[in-house]
Amino acid sequence: MSGVSPCLTGAAGVVAVVIPLLVLVAPGVAQTSPGNAALPPHAATPRTPDGRVDLNGVYQSSPNRGEWDPSAPGQGGGPQNEPPSLLPSARQRTQELLNRRSIDDPTAYCLPSAGPRMTGVILFPIQFVQTPGQIVIIYEYFNAVRIIPTDGRPHPDDAEPTYQGDSVGRWDGDTLVVDVNNFKEGNWLAAGIVSSDKLHITERYTRIDKDQLNYEAVIEDPELLAKPWTIRRTLMLREGVRVREYVCAENNLDPARYQEYLKRPSLFMRSPDQAQPR
Amino acid sequence: MRTCPVFAVASGLALFAALSGAAPVWAHHSFGATFDANKPVTITGVLTKVQWTNPHSHLYLDVKEKDGAVVAWVFEGYPSVVLYRTGWSRDGTIKIGDTLTVAGWRARDDSPFALGREVTLPSGKHLFFGPLSGTGEGAAVAPGN
Repeated sequence: MSGVSPCLTGAAGVVAVVIPLLVLVAPGVAQTSPGNAALPPHAATPRTPDGRVDLNGVYQSSPNRGEWDPSAPGQGGGPQNEPPSLLPSARQRTQELLNRRSIDDPTAYCLPSAGPRMTGVILFPIQFVQTPGQIVIIYEYFNAVRIIPTDGRPHPDDAEPTYQGDSVGRWDGDTLVVDVNNFKEGNWLAAGIVSSDKLHITERYTRIDKDQLNYEAVIEDPELLAKPWTIRRTLMLREGVRVREYVCAENNLDPARYQEYLKRPSLFMRSPDQAQPR
Repeated sequence: MRTCPVFAVASGLALFAALSGAAPVWAHHSFGATFDANKPVTITGVLTKVQWTNPHSHLYLDVKEKDGAVVAWVFEGYPSVVLYRTGWSRDGTIKIGDTLTVAGWRARDDSPFALGREVTLPSGKHLFFGPLSGTGEGAAVAPGN
């Protein structure tokens, strides 16, 4: 096939060089964290007329300030500080799902996930709309919306389980703290890491200056995790960027393709020697 | 055989991301469920159709084989919302009949279908069209406890 030329040779050579280099610099990457003293001074955190921190704006999960970051590989929104401590049964399930190369991920069927995953996807902007008693987070990814009351009301008595859970917020000084419960079972928090309906997440949003909104999620699930799992991201203000319409069902060809692949699992399953538990 | 240095660096970065447990660039679905990182391809053909859609865009290329037969290839890439922010213009970047070169990774079933990572335009300009290999499929081994 004259039009087809594999470029494995060049790729393999450069990968061989790149990987060791990246491993060497990895600790430096992990330290590219909020408030790096080497960065120049930043504009002050905006405030609303009543003195609250003003979260309004369009952000991107990215460690880099400034313009939209179109193709930063790998690192979405700063360090993911710790791996989850999975219960043994959960770890076995995760391994099984990873062996299937995450073909079962609900996002392939256009279903949204909980805040920590939605917040970590670098390619799609996230808009915060703040009013005195309510904050709305609009994720371009899946056109998902979270409405977070901040007027002191509790979780509703009649909340039913949902993909993004039920959120109530409160201010702890300059930090917005959001308590999220009432999740559907089966939420993929990350590849192969699947929650139960006992999932409970405490999110903390701290806009430390005009550009940078720090995100921390403490994830608890007694059927998944041996101890709480903390995920941190950095959301960077992207002035001039707008949230567009993303209707995932428009042209989603994956389910039909997966139906064919699932008839031939050997096509995509990891072989046992690729996936030995440590 | 053409080598693709930019593409190769991208491959290395993807592997690094997978090894380090970094956050997903793009997670609509798993790369590895459909595409094979061990099957990189660079293909030149004539553009016959564009799907500028979500959750994926597609480029359709007619590719002439040595025996003269024409194979219709399909390249999957970013959703249209992302392409706007990756340097693409819906009406101005490519047009039907353009000769394009696309570097990416082929589907596991060896059909003429691939993830398109980078497109070389008739002008010689390169644009990213899709994500890195490995995106969204997770690590090989579950986290410890």
